[in-house]
Formats: sequence, C-alpha cells, structure tokens
Amino acid sequence: MPDQANEFLKDYQAFAQQSWDAWMRYLQQQPGASVPFGFSPPPTPPANDFLTRSLANLQAYGSWLQQAAGAGATGQFGNWQQPAAMQPFLAAFNQPFAQTVAGLDSASAFGLDHQWQSWLQAMQRSGMGGMSGSGMGGMSMPSAMAAFGITREVQLDQQAMAAAMNEYAQINARYQTLLQQVNAQGIERMQELLKEHSEPGKQIESLKGLYDMWVDAMEDAYSKMALSGEYREVFGALVNAQMQVRKLQQQQTEQMCRELGIPTRSELDSLGKRVQQLRRDMQVRHQESPRADASEVDVLRAEIATLKRELAASKSTKTAAVRPIKSGDNDKHSTATPRAKAAGSASAKRK
Amino acid sequence: MQTPLHIDPQQAFNEVAAFQRKLAAGMQHLRGLGEQEYANTPREAVYREDKLTVWHMKGNTQPTAKVPTLIVYALVNTVWMTDLQDDRSLVRNLLAQGEDVYLIDWGYPDGADRWLTLDDYLNGYLDRCVDALRKRHGIDAINVLGICQGGTFSLCYTAMHPEKVKNLVTMVTPVDFQTPDNMLSQWVQSMDVDLFVDTLGNVPAELMNWVYLMLKPLRLNQQKYVGLVDILDNPAELKNFLRMERWIFDSPDQAGEAFRQFIKDFYQQNKLIKGDLQIGNQPVDLGMIGQPVLNIYAVQDHLVPPDASRSLKSHLGTDDYTELAFKGGHIGIYVSGRAQREVAPAIHQWLRERS
Repeated sequence: MPDQANEFLKDYQAFAQQSWDAWMRYLQQQPGASVPFGFSPPPTPPANDFLTRSLANLQAYGSWLQQAAGAGATGQFGNWQQPAAMQPFLAAFNQPFAQTVAGLDSASAFGLDHQWQSWLQAMQRSGMGGMSGSGMGGMSMPSAMAAFGITREVQLDQQAMAAAMNEYAQINARYQTLLQQVNAQGIERMQELLKEHSEPGKQIESLKGLYDMWVDAMEDAYSKMALSGEYREVFGALVNAQMQVRKLQQQQTEQMCRELGIPTRSELDSLGKRVQQLRRDMQVRHQESPRADASEVDVLRAEIATLKRELAASKSTKTAAVRPIKSGDNDKHSTATPRAKAAGSASAKRK
Repeated sequence: MQTPLHIDPQQAFNEVAAFQRKLAAGMQHLRGLGEQEYANTPREAVYREDKLTVWHMKGNTQPTAKVPTLIVYALVNTVWMTDLQDDRSLVRNLLAQGEDVYLIDWGYPDGADRWLTLDDYLNGYLDRCVDALRKRHGIDAINVLGICQGGTFSLCYTAMHPEKVKNLVTMVTPVDFQTPDNMLSQWVQSMDVDLFVDTLGNVPAELMNWVYLMLKPLRLNQQKYVGLVDILDNPAELKNFLRMERWIFDSPDQAGEAFRQFIKDFYQQNKLIKGDLQIGNQPVDLGMIGQPVLNIYAVQDHLVPPDASRSLKSHLGTDDYTELAFKGGHIGIYVSGRAQREVAPAIHQWLRERS
C-alpha cells in the first residue's frame, strides 16, 4: 500500500502543480493587458488581494489533504492517542492556520513592514543610516543620540519614528506569540475532540470531516484567546502602536509638503471641519426659518385680534356715545380710550 | 476505545483527487461570470441628500399597510443585504406581505464626510428622511425597522423623537455593548480611539473587513473557500456565493467622527444602557421609548451576541415589547431559507396587529 500511495502522490503532485499554475495565470490575467501611457501602477501587495489570499489558503488545504492522505496510507491514524506520534501529522495543521492569520495580519498593517524597509533605505541615502540599533526585521535603526545642528529637528523626528517602529515591532512579537499559543491550544482541543469521536458510529470517515474538526478545534482555541484579557491588552497596544507610527509618518509627510508648497492633510481637515460646521449652522437656520415665519404670523394675528377688539370697542363706544347718560350709570363708558372717544365723536359728527 | 479516524486510504486518495479535479474544472465555470447583481427590486428615489438616498421599494402589488416602514441599515456594509437576490430578499418578502417599504442607502463616505458626527447622522440625515416620509404620506409617525448598528441608531432616534415613530422593529441590534462574549467589544476596550481617528481620518473599509474576518479567521478565510470547491460546478450556487462575496467586501469607509463617538460612547463606555448617552445636545434615554417594539435577534450571531440584543427589554419604557429568537446567524437572518419563511411574515403580523 505505501508504494501504491507514493505513486499516487507523485502523479497527484504533478497534477496539482499544473492546476495551481493555471489558477495563478488566470489571476494574473485579470487586470487587463494594456497599460495606458506606458504607466505601470505599483504592484498590489499580495496581502491586499483577497482572491489571491483565498486561493493561497485553498492551496494550503490541498497540501494538507495530500499529507493527510499520505499519513493515513502509512497507518499513522492508528497512533492518534499518542501526542508524540501524532505530532508530525498534527503539525501539518499548523501551516494553514499560520498562513491564514499571517496574511490577515499583513493586510491589517497595510504593508507597514514594507514602509519600514523603504524608510530605512531613505535614511541610508540621506546619510542618517549609520546610527545603530535594531528594529523591524533586524535591520539597523537610529539610536536615541543627542540631536544638534541644522538637522536637529529632522534627527529628532527620525528618532521618534525609529522608537515608534521599535515599539510596534515588540508588540507585534507579543501578538505573534499569542497566535502561536492558539496553535498549541488548538492541537490540544483537537485531541479532546478526537476522543469524543472514538465511539463506534461517531468515527470520522473522511479527510474533509477531519479538516472540519480541526477548524472547530482551532476556532475554539482562538475564540478563547481572543476573549482573554491578555489578548485584549496586546491587541489594543498593537493598534495604538501602529497608529503612532502612522501619525509620525504623516507628520513627516506634512513637513515635506509644506516645504514643497503642497496643501497638507491637516489643512484639508481643517477646511472640512469648518465646512461641516457651516452646513450644520445652515441646517439650523433652515429649520428655524419656518418657525420665524410662524412667529411673525402669530404677531400679525395678535395685532389683528387687537385691532378687532379695538374696533369692537369703538362700536360699543359709538353706541355709548349716542346713549344718553343716565344718572346712576357707571362711568365705565367714560373710560373709553381717547381713540375710541375720538372715533365716537367723529362718528357723531358724521351723523 | 476505538480509533476516532476511520478513513479508508483508498477513499482518502479519491477525496484528494476529487478535490483537485473540481478545482481544476472550476476555473472554467468562474471565467466569464463577472460581477453578480443584487436582487435590484424596482425602486424609486424619493429623497436625496449628500451621498444618502431614500428608496421607495416597489412590489408587484400596491401595499396594503397604511403606515410605511423605513429600513435603517448600519453604516458598515450596505443595505443591499436586505435585497440580496430574487429568492433571498427581506424587502421583497415584506412587500409581498403588503408592507410599504422604504430604505436608506447611506452611500460611501469620503474625505468630505470625515467630520460627520452621530448627531449629523441621527438628528440630521435620519430625522430629515423620516420627515420626508411623514410629509409624503401625510402622517405624524412612521414605522422604523433598524438593523444591526442601524437598530441602535433607530433606538436612539426613537428616544429623541418619539412622536415621529409609530412602531419600532430592531433586528440583530446591539444594546448592551459589553457582554462577555462580544469579541469586537473586547478588542476595542484598550484601543486609543482618539489616536486612531486622528491618524486615519475616515476608517478604511479594508480595515473594517479585516476586523470582521479576524473574528473567525479559519472559517471565514479558508473553510469557506474549501466549501466553494464543492459548488464550483454548480453555476447557480456559484453565483450566489459570488454575490455574497460582493456584499461582504462592498464596504463603505466609516466617517471618522461618527466612528470615534460610536466606539467611545457605545463600546467603551456602554452609555446606551447606562443612561448617560448624549447625541448632539440631546440626552438619549431608552425609557422614553413608549411605542411598541419588536426585537429580533439571531441565536448564533457572532457579531452581536444574543445577550447584547436581549438586554433591550429591561431598558425600554414601553409595555408592548416582543422578542423573537431566530435560529441562525447575523447574516442568515436575511438570506437563509428559514429567514425567507419566518422573518418577514413575523414582522408583518406584528405590525398588522398594531396598525
């Protein structure tokens, strides 16, 4: 059986390689062949290409299938209770998880590692690369030496950047350590799940079933880790460290833009903030204007009502004016306003 | 105890070969499929402002409901999850029941929208959308159906403008943002959101997508695509898969200021249930919500844990509160077969009893 398996695997590997090559050619054809004006856009970082990454994950799964089939053919499944014997077989599980998470990490960092390399190269070119230290990827970085001279401000900026990069690298290392723990805990969980399937009728009968169980185990372990206080602290620190690096990058870019007379993001932000406040003020005024109209109408209504009352009063005054004053009658009519009195007398005159 | 693995070697080889064969053949099926369209239920724009559009969705028959229902979706992803494809559409199902459905398409914020606050979204955009529908229908109050973060917005809006909402439906809506099983909440607690927003401005969609993928990294980045291989030779299923992929990654950037406030006030300080939330200058008190509320949550929701939604019950001022547990996940509540049978009829029945 092992010989048969080896033959099969040899054929299979050739077939699989052809297939993956075809898929990758297919992907590479997607953006289109012609490039206008001979302009070549910068290559898309593989980590940002979801399709490429998805296929890489599929390829990892294909590789695992291959290994698992080989392990099954050579009888390794029988030793599942002995962790040491199972380790090489389970180790095959690590690779897809590491690839998956590593790809995502890289995407989230938006190529920060690449930026770090570019920055260091620029430093070297500008003559500031001689300062020693160790940063991301073990490359040298400026140490915190005293800054002076005409480039003092630049040196300080670069030192701050180097310190921030170093901080990010250290926290990223802690984060990666946690993910490695997920791998280890996932394998332990896998052993537990395997035990649960050792009853007759519950046994796993396909590689896909085994793979699904591995995913369950790893996700269980990951979920436990991701909800822990330690992960919460490290994840937050990782995000904050990355943002600190970006903030310093932006400050350096802004400085450069100012020197070149190019509008900066801060200026655009400031304008945007003012425009948004103006829009809010306009909305408030727009909403208030109907209310203002309404209040004006109310004032006019009140004035009309007053005039009507006065008119009614004048009519009654007029009546009073022609009414003979009797003795004992109150002098309430005599308190008519001068206007009413005048109206009354005018009316009397017309009569 | 027997071995848990009962895998016949020959069968294992066959399985490997079948996988590779399907994968190789699948390329032919993928070629030429292109971008998959959403359901695109007939619709008419009835209100526009900046990047926002309110759509009136048109069914095959005239609506029988007298009060229109406005769907308020989250700012993350797009509202088209509610109208994904012909046979998986909450909108179509509601229309078929006789509801008069409108929805807000928030659009895609850019740098010009960086300073939009939650006050701008709720007391500005949303309030004007509601006013537009009240005016259009000549009524004082409409029904609001809020989804996920849109549900949270709907709750805040109803608390601030109770006279404009007749009935409120919330779906997979976070209310208690600090339940122990809320992974997103755990992750943002130690985050310096001021530094984050001051640095990034608007929050890029790719970053949001990454966060969602990291909730279940293996399931969402590998197992899902392993499953894809099984449907590569089924054009209809393949199209459904690609359509869903389109929706998942069709994510708007998040307006920086609104994001800052949402993370701080809701996730980090849980102000909505603590009662000290303010949007603009207005206090938001869930106790002010006296209208009928239907709260639908998904029992397998990995984004909004059921407890995060169920918490609503103890904070409302209404006596007319109904809870509906859906057997599915955060997305399945719109697109699963069960959802097509259960969700829209339940909403319609509930609204009809309160019309």
